[in-house]
Amino acid sequence: MTYVEYKMLNPFQKFAYKLKKFILAIPHALATFFKAIGRFFAKLFLGIGRGFKNYGVTFVKGDWATKLSYIIFGVGDFSKGKYYKGIIYLLVEVFYILYMIFFGWTYLSKFGTLGTVETHREYVGIIPKTVYGDNSMLILLYSVLSIVITVIVFAIYIYNIKDAYKHQQMKAEGKKPTSFIADVKDFLDGKYHITLLSLPTLLIGIFNILPLIFMILIAFTNYDKSHLPPGTLFTWIGLDNFSDLLNVVDGARKATTFMELTKWTLLWAVVATFSNYILGMIFALMINKKGIKFKAFWRTLFVITIAVPQFVSLLLMNQMLQQNGAINVLLGMFLGENPNIQFLNSTTLMARMTVIIVNCWVGIPYTILSMSGILMNIPEDLYESARIDGAGPVKTFTKITLPYMIFVTTPQLITQFVGNINNFNVIYLLTGGGPKTEEFYQAGRTDILVTWLFNLTMNQQDYGLAAAIGILVFIVCATISLIVYNNSKSMKDEEAFS
Amino acid sequence: MKKILAILLAGVMTATAFAGCTGGSGEESSNNSSNGSSNSGSGASATQADVATGKVDESLFGDEGADGSTITLKVWAPDATVNLAKEQIEAFKKLYPDKKFDISVVAQGEGDAATALMNDATTAADVFSFPSDQLNLLVDAGVISPCAFADVVSSANQEETVTAGTINDELYAYPETNDNGYYLVYDKSVVSDEQAGKLEDILAACKEAGKQFVMDCGDGFYSCTFAFTAGVQVDGLEEDGITQKFVDYDEDAAVKTLQAFGKLIKKYKGTFVSLNVKNVASGFASDTCGAGIDGSWDTSVNEEALGDNFGAAKLPTINVDGEDKQLISMFGYKYLGVNGSSKFPASAQILAFYLGSQVCQQQRAEELGWGPSNLEVQKDKVVTDSVVLQAIAEQASNSCAQVNIAKTFWDPMANLGNQLIADEFNPDDTDAIKQLLKATIENIRDEG
Amino acid sequence: MIKSYKFRRHLANGLIYLFLTVMGIIWISPFVYLVMHSFRGEGLIAVPYLIPKEWTLQNYIDLFTGAGGNAALSFPRWFMNTFIVACFSCIISTVSVLMVSYAFSRLRFKARKKFMNIGMILGMFPGFMTMIAIYYLLKAMGLTQTLVALVICYSCGAGLGFQISKGFFDTIPRALDEAATIDGATKNQIFWKIILPMSKPIVVYTVLTSFIGPWTDFILAKIIMGDKRENYTVAIGLQLMTTNDFMNRYYKQFLAGSVVVAVPITVLFLLMQRYYVEGVTAGGVKG
Repeated sequence: MTYVEYKMLNPFQKFAYKLKKFILAIPHALATFFKAIGRFFAKLFLGIGRGFKNYGVTFVKGDWATKLSYIIFGVGDFSKGKYYKGIIYLLVEVFYILYMIFFGWTYLSKFGTLGTVETHREYVGIIPKTVYGDNSMLILLYSVLSIVITVIVFAIYIYNIKDAYKHQQMKAEGKKPTSFIADVKDFLDGKYHITLLSLPTLLIGIFNILPLIFMILIAFTNYDKSHLPPGTLFTWIGLDNFSDLLNVVDGARKATTFMELTKWTLLWAVVATFSNYILGMIFALMINKKGIKFKAFWRTLFVITIAVPQFVSLLLMNQMLQQNGAINVLLGMFLGENPNIQFLNSTTLMARMTVIIVNCWVGIPYTILSMSGILMNIPEDLYESARIDGAGPVKTFTKITLPYMIFVTTPQLITQFVGNINNFNVIYLLTGGGPKTEEFYQAGRTDILVTWLFNLTMNQQDYGLAAAIGILVFIVCATISLIVYNNSKSMKDEEAFS
Repeated sequence: MKKILAILLAGVMTATAFAGCTGGSGEESSNNSSNGSSNSGSGASATQADVATGKVDESLFGDEGADGSTITLKVWAPDATVNLAKEQIEAFKKLYPDKKFDISVVAQGEGDAATALMNDATTAADVFSFPSDQLNLLVDAGVISPCAFADVVSSANQEETVTAGTINDELYAYPETNDNGYYLVYDKSVVSDEQAGKLEDILAACKEAGKQFVMDCGDGFYSCTFAFTAGVQVDGLEEDGITQKFVDYDEDAAVKTLQAFGKLIKKYKGTFVSLNVKNVASGFASDTCGAGIDGSWDTSVNEEALGDNFGAAKLPTINVDGEDKQLISMFGYKYLGVNGSSKFPASAQILAFYLGSQVCQQQRAEELGWGPSNLEVQKDKVVTDSVVLQAIAEQASNSCAQVNIAKTFWDPMANLGNQLIADEFNPDDTDAIKQLLKATIENIRDEG
Repeated sequence: MIKSYKFRRHLANGLIYLFLTVMGIIWISPFVYLVMHSFRGEGLIAVPYLIPKEWTLQNYIDLFTGAGGNAALSFPRWFMNTFIVACFSCIISTVSVLMVSYAFSRLRFKARKKFMNIGMILGMFPGFMTMIAIYYLLKAMGLTQTLVALVICYSCGAGLGFQISKGFFDTIPRALDEAATIDGATKNQIFWKIILPMSKPIVVYTVLTSFIGPWTDFILAKIIMGDKRENYTVAIGLQLMTTNDFMNRYYKQFLAGSVVVAVPITVLFLLMQRYYVEGVTAGGVKG
């Protein structure tokens, strides 16, 4: 299709065209994705190679202090008069060695087996006492901690060598090392990003990245109900959890459940995202239409749903949708007798539709809010020139308002889609995954992958399996975002508003 | 800056890591003092432990609490019993005046006790109350300590409760009650005592009064009644320890029973409603419910709602091809367990023994109306005069024990219940029902 | 001609008013129901009619005095806990979000793109995956069952939510920075004296969202608090009231408690709505 042909399509055809292009682009995007990964590794190995070379070269060229820095941190800095840095380097080394001797190594040495000494019971007289063996969970957790610390300390070690060499060169050139005060000042200006980012990075490292590495590793173990520390040990089982989930051929229940829940999760995410988007847009357009009064009032009316905590409104909805709940009572007032509709626990279709409709009730206000903002931001001169060209209200809408909104909100759409894949609250609080079914492994008809994951973790202690699901969900989300992200750039170029 | 932080990080990590470490290693060393004389399954003689008063020989404490050191214990009790448990613990302390105790009672629902214990045993209670179906899990995960006074406890309590608490010939917990089951609750102004015997009569009476009959068909715990009544009853686990075994049953007869249920439910649509059990009491309070199937845990609130009109009976019968068939229920017991990672294992055992003793069971029967498992208390007037406890006892003889139930049991049973009450269900379609039953059994037995 | 056009417009507007009114009623009625039934005197959970017959303040009184049931449920205490946690985590999160987004928006350094990508990737893992590990980390630090742990949990990951405020900072003209730099201002001074004063909408937005967070989370908080009821937040407490052991006696108190939690947040939200909209739009469009 040529550019001119494209321009002549109506907005919906344009959208369909883009959708088609988007789907066709998936294989290419995937290829780019894997190529990028390949390049990353190539770069990584090259970098490591270069690092080794520098490491050797510096040693050969270094003076005694620089050479000594290879064993004792900070000597280089110290000998050149940069005392505070030298002390810090040295302290890092001392702390690290102490940490490893007294703590880290005891766990790290068992990382390969995750412990071999079993917990058993002994009797003192008639009183049974538990004698604890290894705790696989703690071994894994503290091993990950030790590995992360080791990586950080290694980075500091390399930095220490570079620093020593830098100061050696500076001395050769007759320069003096910068003072402590000057360094502090630099951290407020030239290196301000380090000041700003280090604390958040540290916190994210401890409470996001570290747990994440731990849980990714859990996916390769048999950590579950019958392998539960401290009572019992768990160990590495390779890819078994993944093959349990993906082994569709044998029709095993875990695999069936995974397939069915994945389908429903994607369907749910698509329907939930687009229903909110389209309906929200219609609402926003109505509220913001010229001539409609009390705009703020209408917006506020809908926006209250956002302000009320979701667990309150959803638990309330759950009660209202019961057979004896308010909605059946209300319908009973119109119909004469209570229709006793079972919204949440009879058929799959009914439950799923209820969930989607309630999700509209929860989600549309968000769309109204952001769309209203955008509608107010559409440049007035766009309309002005359209009016001069003689365009009617319908034409201005299809030619200006709609394309502008779609253009501006595409990134939001992606975030919402990923958000809906992980939309825990609506499903968990409203149906709890029900209606129950005999076909799934610990899941119900409206369960999506994250609610299944939650149930497996909190109620079934199936940690290994849950972690594997988490990784697969991540892969799905990451792939979709990546493809859309790569593609939306071209979309933007095509239809840039000028 | 980066470096300072890195060092700080290392410092913080080390400090916290040491903190985490001491707990574990301390436990290990203190536990190594055991002498290894294994005499599992035997237990103390009657002279050492008296089940009537719950007192044991003080020497059994071993070195715990010696030299005036404090014994710290935590007890999990369901909300309704917290106050009573506190009183009982005061009495327990008086039994051993030489020891210094610091015992806290923390409210924790029985249903969640096992999950909470398995999620983190080291911060869990030393002594906790739990229903019988969770025993398997607790033993499997190795978080529960076996009962130290097995012989004394076994002879003093009802045989069924002891059998259900025994796994691999070892008694794992102290029986606490024998009443963890459901029965028929009805409003006497709607359903007469006579009508309460037959499901058909109950439904007719409710419909006439414009009230509902409430049963939670979306929960496997209640909806398994359909299958059990149809003759499809559980029979422990297979040798693998996870697959559910069923008794031999006549498929045609089973289908006929399910059809009878289906027809009744269809006929009384709007009267027979499936709601969470909580809606039984709520329905009584707002005059919408005439009768319902509810458990011992809601007795007090149901009594409050109905006042003098409170009626309790065993589950009714259902007419299948002219023959009245008794509804068979799921029935369980409650136990007191000892956490395997307790820091004071002997004291925890002694406390659990006391809480499960005759005195405490008597108090619970008197103050909370709980059905005792202790044989002596069962003969007491409090129990024999209680309508509810008699209804429960009668139902107990028409039930399957809630022990050795596979974890795959509940969802398929819930699905069976949901199917029976669905509007689309056709009670005349024999083949479909046969298929449904087959699928249910198959999926219960399939471990995924 | 003109008349018919006017008529059509009026008709269209009338239909829109009708539609908005109907939808508005649908949207608002659950909350009206919530408020009405929190004053209900009769019944336990459900009643077969919409408007309560007996109006009373008893549910609110019971909620705050702990009467009418077990004293282990202490709503005032939970409310205070949540308020404290919300204040602290709000301060920490706001500061860290603003720091991170300023760094990514205004400063140019080597690993900037890499950091941003890592941030995006981390956000795509389902949050529940890491709960167990976080629990044991907190336990190793001796923080489980404390309010400090909650503050840590709610504010530590906050830096990852930089996208929206970064988008907002991007809309502030760079010429301002450049002019200030020429006048000799450091990056630090630019952040505090120039960018922050111009970022009221996004600051309010960040404060608002991070303040509301602790009032609504009932999953992570429950895992951390376990059986320690006196340290619960309102969200776990209210959820506890709807569990099987409590529902019959506490459902009406749950409704009352929900109103007590929802009203201040709603008022706060409505007061700040303007900034919220500005923040979302400016940040969302660019981000």
